[in-house]
This record gives sequence, C-alpha cells and structure tokens, in this order.
Amino acid sequence: MSDIRESILARLVEVVATVPNLRTVKRNDTDYFSALMPAAFVLDGDEDVVSGNEGSRPSNRPLLVEMSPEIHVIEQSGTIGSDITAFRRDLVKLVLADATLNSLTGSNGAIQYLGCDSTFAWLEKQWGGLQIRFRFKYPLIVNDL
Amino acid sequence: MSLDYSRLLYDPVYAAIGVPATMDGTAITVIDDTRPKVLPAGTSDVRGTGPGAFVRIPELEANEIARDDWQDALLVFNGRSWLVRSYELRGSPNGEDLGEVRFLLKAVDE
Repeated sequence: MSDIRESILARLVEVVATVPNLRTVKRNDTDYFSALMPAAFVLDGDEDVVSGNEGSRPSNRPLLVEMSPEIHVIEQSGTIGSDITAFRRDLVKLVLADATLNSLTGSNGAIQYLGCDSTFAWLEKQWGGLQIRFRFKYPLIVNDL
Repeated sequence: MSLDYSRLLYDPVYAAIGVPATMDGTAITVIDDTRPKVLPAGTSDVRGTGPGAFVRIPELEANEIARDDWQDALLVFNGRSWLVRSYELRGSPNGEDLGEVRFLLKAVDE
C-alpha cells in the first residue's frame, strides 16, 4: 500500500518541524492560541486531477493529481517583522529543496511555491500570521492505494 | 434639563466594579475590560486576549494625567502590568471631556 498524498503530507510536517525557533508544529489543528506561538500548522490541501488526465479507461489507471496544502505560521512578539520573514524564508527553502518531497512527486511531478498572505493585529502582544501555499503535483497510482 | 451622567451613571458603576490602579504611579480607578479576542488567520482563527481598561476622563484630568501622557503609560491593576498602546474615546451625553476612555493595552516586554 502506498499513498503518495499521505506520504507528502507526513513528510511536509517533518520538514516544517526542522524550521528553527518554532515552539509548536501541528497538522490539521486549527485551534490557534497564544501559548503555542511561534507555531506552524500544516493543513492538508484539496486534491484535483490535473487537466487532461480525467475520463479515459481503465478507471483505475494512474492519474496525475495536484494538492495545495497550506502552512500557517503564527507568531506573537513585541515587534513583529523580521522573525516572520525568517520563517517564510526557511520554509520555502526547506520545502522546495527537500530530497524526499521531490522524490515523492515522481518524474512527472513538481513542487511549486504559490505565494503567501500575511495578517497582523494585536492580542497581548503584536501578532502576525503568514499563510504559505505550495502545490504538489504527483501520480495517483490507484492500484497501489 | 440635562442629566448629570457622571453622578447618575459613572460614579455608581465605578464604585461597584471599578478597581484600584496606578497609571505611571498615580492612583486612579479603572474598570478591567480584558476580554477574549478572535482574529482571522487565513482559513482559521487565532484566539487570544485583548487587554483593556476603562477610565473616566475627569479622573485623569483631576490627577493631571494629560492626553499626551496616555500613550505608553504603565497601567497596573488586578495584579498585572500593562502598557497603553492605543485608546478609544467613549464620549458621554455631557461631552467627551466628561466621558470615558478605553485604553487598549499590551504586555510589558520582559
């Protein structure tokens, strides 16, 4: 049994956990609160069949699919700024260069950095959030599931 | 005949739920308005605390705490110390100078 989607997501959490200065790394946990910060949350992304792969028989033939997981980084400090930038820089470098993730996507696959959104506000301290988006293209081999 | 909101409203409210505080060392009375706060973070929310306190503007003036002194003032009440990061004037039917101010607070950096 081999589920490339799950392997990518599990490895993504491992890669995010290597980012320096994070106190918390969780997957699919959307309960964000101050005591966890600085924290990163890996959210499983939607999966879509790449255009042109759908429709022909046999139904269980391999497909090329895309998944777009998000990594949310939240931080609270006296002065939000370069610390958030550093998290983004480390995450983009580590994810795109990770040999295991690149290997999992296969010869027809790819990893793309899609961009990030930022949010700032006040709690007890200044709070900053970063939503970083990647796209993974990889084969869905139905007979291996 | 206009109503005296300081005497009819603020005095009894502050007498009942006001707590002793100091603002840069000067004794005043505040109402603790620290409340839960939820902020959007992409597809999720962040939960935290939004510390705040109400103070009567006449009391600040009586203690010679001028508006220019509010920003970054140290406010101590209910066993916690905060810095004023911003404020909202709440006004009153008798005019802004007889109303309240809500101080928006931030943690004192260690």
